[in-house]
Order: sequence, then structure tokens, then C-alpha cells
Amino acid sequence: MADALLSTPVALAGAGIAATLLGVAGAKIKKNADDINPALMGVMGAFVFAAQMVNFSIPGTGSSGHIVGGILLASVLGPWAAFVTLSSVLIIQCLVFADGGLMALGCNIINMAAMSTLVAYPLVFRPLLRFPAKLWKLMAVSCLASVVGLEAGALCVVAETELSGVTALPTADFAMLMLPIHLAIGLGEGIATGMVLYFVQRTRPALLVREEGRRTAKSIKATVWGFGIAALVIATVIASFASSDPDGLEWSIMNITGSTDLESVGTVAEAARNVQNSTALMPDYDNSLSGIVGAVVVLALLWAFSALITRHRSKKAAAVVSNTDNKK
Amino acid sequence: MADKLEKGINTYSASECQTASRSTAARNPVALLSVTLLYLVTLLSVPLDHLAALLWFGIYPLICSAYLGIPFSRIFVKSMAVIPFIALIGIFNPWFDRAPGIRMGGYELSHGWLTFISITVRGLYALQALLLLTSACGFIGMCRAMRRVHVPAFLTTQLEMVYRYGRLLLEELQQMRRARMARGYGRRSFSVGMWGPMIGQLFIRSIDRAQRVHQAMLCRGFRGTIPDWQQNPYRWSANDTAFTAVWILVFLLLRFLSPQLLFH
Repeated sequence: MADALLSTPVALAGAGIAATLLGVAGAKIKKNADDINPALMGVMGAFVFAAQMVNFSIPGTGSSGHIVGGILLASVLGPWAAFVTLSSVLIIQCLVFADGGLMALGCNIINMAAMSTLVAYPLVFRPLLRFPAKLWKLMAVSCLASVVGLEAGALCVVAETELSGVTALPTADFAMLMLPIHLAIGLGEGIATGMVLYFVQRTRPALLVREEGRRTAKSIKATVWGFGIAALVIATVIASFASSDPDGLEWSIMNITGSTDLESVGTVAEAARNVQNSTALMPDYDNSLSGIVGAVVVLALLWAFSALITRHRSKKAAAVVSNTDNKK
Repeated sequence: MADKLEKGINTYSASECQTASRSTAARNPVALLSVTLLYLVTLLSVPLDHLAALLWFGIYPLICSAYLGIPFSRIFVKSMAVIPFIALIGIFNPWFDRAPGIRMGGYELSHGWLTFISITVRGLYALQALLLLTSACGFIGMCRAMRRVHVPAFLTTQLEMVYRYGRLLLEELQQMRRARMARGYGRRSFSVGMWGPMIGQLFIRSIDRAQRVHQAMLCRGFRGTIPDWQQNPYRWSANDTAFTAVWILVFLLLRFLSPQLLFH
């Protein structure tokens, strides 16, 4: 997710939630310091980072995919350490590869790291699978957990973008666009995770049993509670859609054909826009052509000025180097 | 596939060079990080239909690149990479939002197109600011900056570890891929059945490597965090205060006054 798709309040809220989760994870890791060491987490993070660079071909589609690694990391490190590890990979992708924005980092950590390691793993993968497992079961549960993690992340992207008021795309249509894509990605991720876990189970089963040993009765209780709360949230969201839009399909067709009626969907975005407008001292200024042209001209001049200075500096630096060489 | 892996290794090398060659003329990472964050906060707070106001935020990447001695053209070209991701979501705005936006000569631009252009512009600016930050500080510099602003040590240690071992594992993976290609009779893609065991191998090798590394670290007195061995390498100076203060002032002026009114 890029910075441009977020408003300041949503980006800051995302950063706050991600920072809180990282703080909790830090405390949990400290408690289990004997089991999980920084070297293991560091190398596992580097592993995920490297594994993402090699794609596998998806049969029959002509396309390829790569692993995200949330479920795989959680199977070895446990959910909290996996969350920190995957978050660190996302931070490096942002700061070294400029992949994803700095302000969007909090939201990206929630969407990609938290949803797979703190939601899909404890609520789906761990309750449904015990190592050693048969190949079909391992694949099925990996696929299910990966799909849940990725779909939850996709829903978070929809919510964050809509709350930011960046897109005019109605929430339901946006969700319908995102969910099928992430279903396919989730299945690919699940197959890849299942393959690697099956290989590890055959060659080094002790690695997976270690995390298995941490399973307690609490995790089952947490699953039941988790699903209960999730069902309640989903029911509430669906109920709110149902009350405002009796027929989502008719409503979206009406939008596409031109008579736009975004009142019910746009309320949150509208509220966010109002907050933004109220912070501006001059919210009603004219957004005219002359203002835009003026800004573009000034920027072009600055660019030329910037290029001149940079060239002058590099020439100066080259002169210093050649002088030093001559003296030697 | 091969390109992706090699590109990853090249980016890593470039990042390490930046870290190694960071000159003292560059700004303190804490100052640059604070200014970048403030820039992004003010940039994202500009309403999307105020395109003229938004355009003025382009002065930060332009002036800062000249100040830090980084060619803006390089930053600009790199920042273009963000456009497809933004266009994927923003392109629906012209479709769904056909309310009148601005009049340009005899032609009227709809509100949807206006917001789409604004999203693209702020995406470019945000990425340019991030690229300036990473180019000027290097990753290790930023980790130290994070430690200076009291980001927990477990996280900065983790970041440094992933960064350092990322390069090693990328090279190891490149060797494995090369070995497979040499025996693949010209077949370049990996089926899932082959990909799984190969990545599984790397996974187990990585675990073994982690255990060896941890033992070695314990032998050398490791106590949970990587020590900041350099003595205060980035001392906060009066220049840093001036740099930060000037930019804060500029951002506030851009956000709360309207420079585009000068051209009316």
C-alpha cells in the first residue's frame, strides 16, 4: 500500500496500532527468550526476504507467484516472534527497496504481518493442524489459513482506503474487486507454504514440534472467542450495508450508469474530508488553472536550479579528488 | 525471476555503498527522518481536490536533493515506479466521480480526474521524500537514528540482523538457482513441486546458520542487542536544528497559506 492512498489520521492510527502490537510482541519475546533468539529471528527474516525473490510458476495460468511467509514463520517461531520478523522484512522493503510508503508502513504491517501471524495462524492454522500431518491435510490447512490471512489483509486495505476518502469506488465494489484477487493469491501462498512445511516435516520434524509444544488449551479458547467476535463484526458490517442498500448489485449498476448516489457509502469518507477541510485556514480557495500553472512553472525552475547545483557540486568533488591524487 | 533476484542483490549492494560512503556533509539521520515524517504528515493532510496547493509540496524533494547532492532526475525516475500501484485504485475515481472539477480553457476536468491526478502527485512526492531519506542516510544510519529516538532495541537489532543476513541468503539462493539452471536443460521457471524442496533446503540451511550465529554471538558476549559501538557518530549540531526548523516552517506555510494565490 502506498502513502498516496491514505489520509494522515488513518496513517497515524495504523502506525499507532502497529507500534502497540510490536510493543506487545517485544514483551512476549522477552518472556520466551530461551526458545527464540535474535539470531534465529534475524536469519528467518532474511530467509523470507530471499525466498520472496524466487517465483514459482502457477500451473495453467502462465503467471507466477512468491511466498509471503507469515504462516511458515509462525509455525517455527510462534505468532508473536513471526509478527516481529515479518514486520522487520516489511520495514526493510520500505527503507531499502522503497517498496510501500513510510506513512503507510503501520497499515502495511497490520495488513500483511498481523493478519497472517496474529489472526490466521492462531485462529485457523494452529487449531486445525497437528504435526506430523499428512500431505493433503497440510496443504488444505495451509491454503485455508493463507486465504484467511490474505482476505483479512485485503479487507483492511479496503477499510483503510475508504476511511481515507481517497477512492470514489463504493466500498462493496472495492471489496468485490480485492477479494477474488486475494483468494487466488492466498491459494498460491497456501500451496507454497504447504510444500515448504511438508519438506521440513520430512527432513527436520523437530523444528515444527517445538512451536507445537507451546500449544495450550488457551489457544482453543482464543479460537472460539476470535471466531465469535469476527462473526459479530462481520454481521454488524453486513447489517449496516443491508439497511442502507437493499440490493448491492442494483445500486452498483446505478452508479456505473451515471446516476451516482454515494451518500451511504461515502459517509465515513465525507466525515474524514470534513475534518481535513476544517484544519485548513483557507479551505474554499480557488483551485484555478493559473494556480496550477504557477506551481508547475516554479517547480520546473527549481528542478533546473537543483540540477545546476548538483552538477556544480560533483565537479567540485571531482576537482578535489584529482588535486589529492596530484599531490600524492 | 533471475532478474528479480539479481536486482535484489544489486539494490542491496547500492544500499551498502550508501551506508559506507555516507559523507559528513549529509544531514543527521534523526533530523532527516523527522523532517521526512513531518513532510509526509502535512502532504497527506492536504485535501485531494486542492491540486494547486498539493503541487507546491514538490519544492521539498527538489531543494533537498540539491542540498544533499543527490541528482533529482535519478530520484524522479525511481519514483515513477509507484504510479502503477496508485493507478490501480485511483483510476476508478474518474469513472465514479463525474462532478465538475476545474475549468481549463474551454475544457472542464471532472472532480474524479482531479482527485486521480492529486493521488498520483502525492504518491510521487511521498516516494521521492522516502528515496531522499534512504539515499542520504543508508539503512544502518536509519537504524541508529531509530535507536536515538528510543525505538526498542529488540526491533533495531532485528532490523540490523535481517539486513545483514539478507545479503548472504540472497547470494546463497543465487548459487542454488544457478545450480538448478545448469541442470535444467534450458528450463528457467520453477514448478511448485521443485520450488518447495529448494526453498525448504534454504529454510533448513538458514535455521542451521542461525544456530551457529547465535552460538558465536554468545561466545563474544552478546546480551540481546547489538551494541552501538561507534561513539555518538551523529552528533546533533546547530545546522541540524536550523535544517529542521526551516523545513517545519516551510511545511506549515505550504499547508496553512496558499502560495498558488500569488499567481492570480
